[in-house]
Amino acid sequence: MGNDIISAVLVGCGAVSRFFYGPALLDLQSRGILTVEALVDPSAPNRQPLAELFPQARQYSRLEEAELRSRLVIIATPPKFHAQAAIHAMQSGAAVLCEKPMASSIDEAQAMIDTARATQSLLAVGLYKRFFPACENLKGILERQPLGRLKKFTIEEGGKFGWQAASDSFFRKSETPGGVLLDIGVHVLDLLLWWLGEPGTVDYEDDALGGQEANCRIGLTYRDGVHGEVRLSRDWSTRYEYRFEFERGQIRYHVNEANRLEIIVDGMPSLLDGSLRDPGSHRIERTNPQSFIQQIVNVTAAMRGREPLKVPGEEGIRSLRLIGHCYAHRRLMEMPWLTATEIAAAQCRP
Amino acid sequence: MPPMKIALIGASGFVGTRIVEQWNLTGAFEIVPIVRSYSSLAVLARFELPWQVCDLFDVPALARAMEGCDAVVHAAIGDPGQIEQMAQSIYEAAEIAHVRRLVVLSSASVHGQAPEPGTDETSPLHERHSMAYNSAKVRAEKALHRLSASGNVEVVLLRPSVVYGPRSRWIADTARQLLEGSACLIGDGNAICNGIYVDNLIAAIELALQVPQAAGETFLVGDPAPMTWRSFYQQIADALGIDMATVGSIPPPIFPRSFKSKITDFAAQPAIQKLLPFIPGRLKRLTKLVLANWNEPPAENAWQLPAPVRFTTTEELSLLQQCQWQLPQQKAQKILGYIPKISAEEGMQRSLQWLKFAGYPVIKPGGPPAFT
Repeated sequence: MGNDIISAVLVGCGAVSRFFYGPALLDLQSRGILTVEALVDPSAPNRQPLAELFPQARQYSRLEEAELRSRLVIIATPPKFHAQAAIHAMQSGAAVLCEKPMASSIDEAQAMIDTARATQSLLAVGLYKRFFPACENLKGILERQPLGRLKKFTIEEGGKFGWQAASDSFFRKSETPGGVLLDIGVHVLDLLLWWLGEPGTVDYEDDALGGQEANCRIGLTYRDGVHGEVRLSRDWSTRYEYRFEFERGQIRYHVNEANRLEIIVDGMPSLLDGSLRDPGSHRIERTNPQSFIQQIVNVTAAMRGREPLKVPGEEGIRSLRLIGHCYAHRRLMEMPWLTATEIAAAQCRP
Repeated sequence: MPPMKIALIGASGFVGTRIVEQWNLTGAFEIVPIVRSYSSLAVLARFELPWQVCDLFDVPALARAMEGCDAVVHAAIGDPGQIEQMAQSIYEAAEIAHVRRLVVLSSASVHGQAPEPGTDETSPLHERHSMAYNSAKVRAEKALHRLSASGNVEVVLLRPSVVYGPRSRWIADTARQLLEGSACLIGDGNAICNGIYVDNLIAAIELALQVPQAAGETFLVGDPAPMTWRSFYQQIADALGIDMATVGSIPPPIFPRSFKSKITDFAAQPAIQKLLPFIPGRLKRLTKLVLANWNEPPAENAWQLPAPVRFTTTEELSLLQQCQWQLPQQKAQKILGYIPKISAEEGMQRSLQWLKFAGYPVIKPGGPPAFT
């Protein structure tokens, strides 16, 4: 691969591509790191806004029509198409960056990993929050424990759903098998797995009544006795906060604030609210969008053999497995405002 | 007999969400939820439902969404500029879809937030309210009367006042203000809160859908007995473990017409609404952005100690907390047979249990949520 400009193929031209991959790829293209060679989406109107950003890109309605060998194929379709597209791309000799969740089932995700191994292809998963400086710093603190042993953590994330969905497929259980857990939970659980490893026990409940959950709660207990509570909602505004309590202090990370942490250390009467900076240059660390761009940089660097993938398929599947475990052992959340008749009916729902 | 099939417009709002929850679980009615955007499906999607997504001003699309329904419940909210037009579109669509009855959630605010003693359904309405919302609701009611006079769809208007319950802003906003120390009451707080627990409102909607004599009528509806605003705040404060002594008492503030409210009221005028489609979307978005940021607080002066947390209220809340009249329900009792089953105390308890479910630091009933 060397220093050649990498050709990228963007598959799926929905909201994620328009609002995230479009501007990210434009920046990387202007830096000569890659060039967007093709846009793939069955809908021409969907392709249009991206075609305006990348006028040189060829347009295809099907992935099979595009040349894929030695390309970087970015898959940002609805999850149920991820596996099929990724497997085809890898078998055609491409490296793949697949948007989260990696697939709509664990079997599909495993098939993607198996194909990557068989074809010796790169398979990365778009869990870009691992590239947040705040999350990288938290990993260091959780590993080195400068504030003493971690005692417990609470996570609240989510608010009234605001994503500009282009169809109802995102909300149909037949097309998207999960709700808030599969949507934002995949990031939360990926970070927890990266930071703390596999939990010993998992206790899960949600409020789905035949469809997708809008609220859920996960209790996680780790082998060293650490207990954590995760609360996710697409119903009302939560605190959007991760709070870690150590023996000698507390650290808070505010969701999506990629370069900021709050710290309280024993003896400090105040809370230290700090932006993260490079210790040498004092330059502020990566922002949220810069972290998104950085994940693509990581894949291009891996294609050139310069660094390992930060989130390979083997990492991406871990949160999917944990989500699968949650759904398999699901309990109905207690909703105490429901009447007795409603509760009885709710308990009979699958 | 199969249950009535009801098109529920505004199914993703606070009242709509609870209607869906109740009717879907009890099977009381078959529901076709109608919402304005795909993102509004996020909470509705807890159920497998035959939802419809359409523009509420697109009459043919709305009529298609209502097709096959026996009746329509209009529970959609909108800004003052949209309320009248939305009511008209929904009525016209219901006509095309051959719907038998349209139940509309109007508001007791057509009489103002602090109605004169003696106010009932027969009290004359005017369009000179200080709040554009009230006048818009009056115009919407008048439009529906005008349309139903020559149309086939029966209209029933319900006028609830303060609707509270799970997901209600009255519960969540009051809790937030109590927690941040900005909660206050007008005077001693002993004004009347004409509240209605959401399940009581749903009971009234069910009757409005089914009682033949309700056609063409308007009903004020509320809880079995009202409470005072002090009592409303007290129950939420107790649940959060907050001393009511921290709740301020302020005289009724004067709300001068700010530039922002003048622009908003101007835009709500029917004549201006007709011109809005011709104004470029970017200009409308820019205006909204400017207005949204109009009240930026001034920067703090380094040579002054920080100001204490200010008690905050709104014009709507301030007026509501000056109400001295318990809105009557005799007409709803007589014609609809409306007897609210859930007391205000029970309604508040259920609302507080939701508050705890939503992660607020509720210490009673039942201690704090596990995740705080």
